[in-house]
Amino acid sequence: MITGGLDLGAGAVKGVLMEDGRQVLARSILPTRGNLVQTAHQVLDRLGEEANISPGDVEYLCTTGFGRYVLPERNLQVSDFTSSARGAIYLFPGTRHVVDIGTQSSRTMAIGPSGKVLKFKMNEKCAAGAGRFVERSSKYLQVPLDQMGPMSLSSAHPKLISSVCAVLAETEIINNIAEGVPLPDILMGVFLSLSQRAYTLMRIVGVEPEVTLVGGLVGNPGMVKALRDTVGTELNVAPDAHFAAALGAALLGYSRRLKLGAPSPGALACPT
Amino acid sequence: MTIVAGMDIGSTTAKCVVLEGQRVLGKSLSPVGVDIVKDAERALEAALADSGIARSEVSFITGTGYGRYKVYFGQLVVTEISCHARGAHFLFPGTRVVVDIGGQDTKAIRVNEKGEVVDFSMNDKCAAGTGRFLEVCANALGFDIGEIGALSLQAKRPMRVTSTCTVFAESEVASYVSRGKDPKDILAGLHASIANRTLSLMQRVGIEPEVTFTGGVSQNGGMVRALNRRLGASVNVSPLSQYMGALGAALHGQERQAGGAS
Repeated sequence: MITGGLDLGAGAVKGVLMEDGRQVLARSILPTRGNLVQTAHQVLDRLGEEANISPGDVEYLCTTGFGRYVLPERNLQVSDFTSSARGAIYLFPGTRHVVDIGTQSSRTMAIGPSGKVLKFKMNEKCAAGAGRFVERSSKYLQVPLDQMGPMSLSSAHPKLISSVCAVLAETEIINNIAEGVPLPDILMGVFLSLSQRAYTLMRIVGVEPEVTLVGGLVGNPGMVKALRDTVGTELNVAPDAHFAAALGAALLGYSRRLKLGAPSPGALACPT
Repeated sequence: MTIVAGMDIGSTTAKCVVLEGQRVLGKSLSPVGVDIVKDAERALEAALADSGIARSEVSFITGTGYGRYKVYFGQLVVTEISCHARGAHFLFPGTRVVVDIGGQDTKAIRVNEKGEVVDFSMNDKCAAGTGRFLEVCANALGFDIGEIGALSLQAKRPMRVTSTCTVFAESEVASYVSRGKDPKDILAGLHASIANRTLSLMQRVGIEPEVTFTGGVSQNGGMVRALNRRLGASVNVSPLSQYMGALGAALHGQERQAGGAS
């Protein structure tokens, strides 16, 4: 049985197709631009192509992320917490703490062995603790987003940012550039600032190994290093961790579908 | 009568006021960039030119504002809080609360009948509720910071802006624009949002009439109305409101000079 998981996030729509809740058949990601439903459909089309299946073959589709309610053909929607936790357990079964830093929010969760969320803390009010801060820094430092991490790794003396506001930090960073602070030091300062905010959330929830990092910033080696240095423990980071919530959604969709029993018409079947 | 100058080196602009007794001889307002020292010099020169006097005629210079320690050619440094209080009291002697909305911070100051600071509360941690918030959102809408106040006054159905964070408000504004909302209605919502934040800051020091509105944002008519509405009363605003810090600094300088002479 093929199930789909779609994570409609503020920065990107992530999608996966899974077979029998075990094997990943396809994964796809597109940046969220304008119409969220349209982006979601594009992701679904790509998934179908990659897995070489027709839309009707997807038996159950589960959505998550801030845009989880917008897709009419979904069978189920689950909260970002539930899906990230489930995805983290799939990627690293020993996970007890999940750190999820997305474009618009960051959250930390203590979870049980089955992926049940026991306690959580989130910041969605302020961009200083979210990926948006990194995106903005990329713009005014004129360093492409995917180069920020690798560049920051050569930092010898990270320039810590004293502003707790993403907008005011901008002024501070511009002053740092004017004062001739090396770019890698400024970049690492951005990641450390974000890490410290995440660590504050982590401590409120209680840090217990294993800690798994998921969300949009996992692909950024600078962010991962900063977080490791700040937290002082090993972090699980999988190449697939960006898809953790989508994976979780596909898995939760699979469990639900099994509970429901009798097969239903394909979730993505086009009306004839 | 001796002539003194007050300089308010803010995060966004440098203000300078040249004062002789009770009379403002001249003033200047100029942007602040990376080289604050040079910008401060320039602001002083401009105010002197506006006053039509030579630098040698100025007997005392007082600095205030975020970059006050850069006014190395001055004789005295005073915090902007006591300067705004002093300036507001000078122009509006009935002032009991000063609301200062600047480029990068917001303050509510409670003053006594002598213009002395009794209590204050400020936000300098976060751009929400400051001039910077308006500037970022104005840019997102494609407007200049100087025109948004007047435009917001033409709103027919003010929108509610729910984001506190400036960065998120910018996205919220963009999404309203893409949904075809009238920019004037969005602007009214942005002004109301700042008024709300300002009011909670004021409540911390206690609201008591008269309220005097100072700082760069006080020149924004939309903000004055939003604040009046939220407050249910009219705030004092003067064309000199943006120079209140510099004016207060000059007044402190006068006092210090008089004190030193006796």
